[in-house]
Amino acid sequence: MTRDEIMTQILSFFRKEFEIENPGLDDNLREKHGFDSIDAIELLLKIEKMLGSELSHEEKKRAMDIRTINQICDYIESLAEARPASSG
Amino acid sequence: MRGGMERRVVITACSAITPIGRSKAEILHHLVHGISGVKALREDGLLSPYIHSKVFGTVDYPIVYDFQRQHRKTMGPVAYYACQVAKEALESAGLDQEFVTSGRLGVAFGSTHGSPTVQRNIYKTFFGGSRTEFSSIGAVDYLKSMVHTTAVNITKMFGITGRVISSSTACTTSSQSIGYGYEAIKYGMQDAMICGGADEYDTTAVAVFDNLLACSTAFNDTPYLTPRPFDAKRDGLVVGEGAGAVLLEEYEFARKRGASILAEVIGFACNNNGGDLILPNLGGITETIRIGLREAKINAEEVDFISAHATGTKMGDVIESQAIYDVYGNLPGVVGLKSYMGHSMGSCGVIETIIALYLMEEGFIAPTLNLDEIDERCAMLNHVVSLRESPIRIAAIQNFAFGGVNTNLIIKKMP
Repeated sequence: MTRDEIMTQILSFFRKEFEIENPGLDDNLREKHGFDSIDAIELLLKIEKMLGSELSHEEKKRAMDIRTINQICDYIESLAEARPASSG
Repeated sequence: MRGGMERRVVITACSAITPIGRSKAEILHHLVHGISGVKALREDGLLSPYIHSKVFGTVDYPIVYDFQRQHRKTMGPVAYYACQVAKEALESAGLDQEFVTSGRLGVAFGSTHGSPTVQRNIYKTFFGGSRTEFSSIGAVDYLKSMVHTTAVNITKMFGITGRVISSSTACTTSSQSIGYGYEAIKYGMQDAMICGGADEYDTTAVAVFDNLLACSTAFNDTPYLTPRPFDAKRDGLVVGEGAGAVLLEEYEFARKRGASILAEVIGFACNNNGGDLILPNLGGITETIRIGLREAKINAEEVDFISAHATGTKMGDVIESQAIYDVYGNLPGVVGLKSYMGHSMGSCGVIETIIALYLMEEGFIAPTLNLDEIDERCAMLNHVVSLRESPIRIAAIQNFAFGGVNTNLIIKKMP
């Protein structure tokens, strides 16, 4: 998956599931769009499906500091690098 | 014993979702024309094929919900019902937002068991073969299904920071909500309470009562002819769905802000039969009626109208008739409102209270539907069998639940 592909999927997910339209890539999602801990858990489930692989407890804990769309994409890229190539 | 401050409590707004409609006009239309909201039991793909009783008090009209996603995401069907009626009651009361979030407003709201629909979906995930290696229970499934989901989704939607009471006592759930909300204001803990109950479409309760041979089965082809409270041909209760909310306020607070006052809550009683969890108990029911009158500081002959629990079971109606007769004789008009919509479980007490408010306001009493031939063991009461022009000054709403819980709520028309 390229960064653009990840970004497209994440923005589409935010639009469909969270009704957050075109957020700024560096917006603080919690402060600006009401993205909360429940949404974060739903997002992790989506990321597991994108990667085709379960996240470890440690990996999930790392996600709790994420605040922006760019950080979500960084996070997914780093997870993908640590895994064998997958069709996702 | 209690002492100190006792304040007056009034009802200033209400809203309902019932098998006989949403608005006061729709509900009264059904009552005046004798139109039932009992329909064929919907298929649920799980229990319905095994249930003998094929009737259900059904909410089958569309409801438009205008909730933001931030609120929707923690709501199962039962919380949708609850939040909708709470929203309408709060909006019609016109409380300002500063008061709503001040901690002076609390919530007393419950349901029989949260959202069974969501609970079933959780089990389906595991037992239905759809579980994958990824965690597949939604992050919010607990918040949607937990037993106090109605109360806390209401607090979230409006930013309410006061007390939360979430009764879950089956058929007395929402009468307890009103009663405990009333007491919270009366004794000074809160200045207002949004009170009520809700239950979504669910076949679990039908299956339970069906197993106990308590459900109506003889009118599966003519659902509108059942339940038949106090009638000789009654053959059991009909489970239903619905929701209701009333806003209670301390009287002086309501008066000063110019609220329209629908009625005053003057008494509440709740007790337990202290033994069997299923069988109706004459002593327990009679006592809760007496305690209610004592709390309201009125005599039995001052009550004009009794909304009986009257589910249409063989023994329940007989015991309740005896209890009413022992305390009131044959003076007050007695009606079983479940005859129109079945037993909406956690919401029946508040829906029956709201209908009592409507009848009080309009000055007539609607008859018990399907009461064609009064069972001789229930016949000593002043049953209302046809529309009766009659001012209601004081009304008593009686509810009794599995577990031996009884309630009696007494409301009075404001002069």
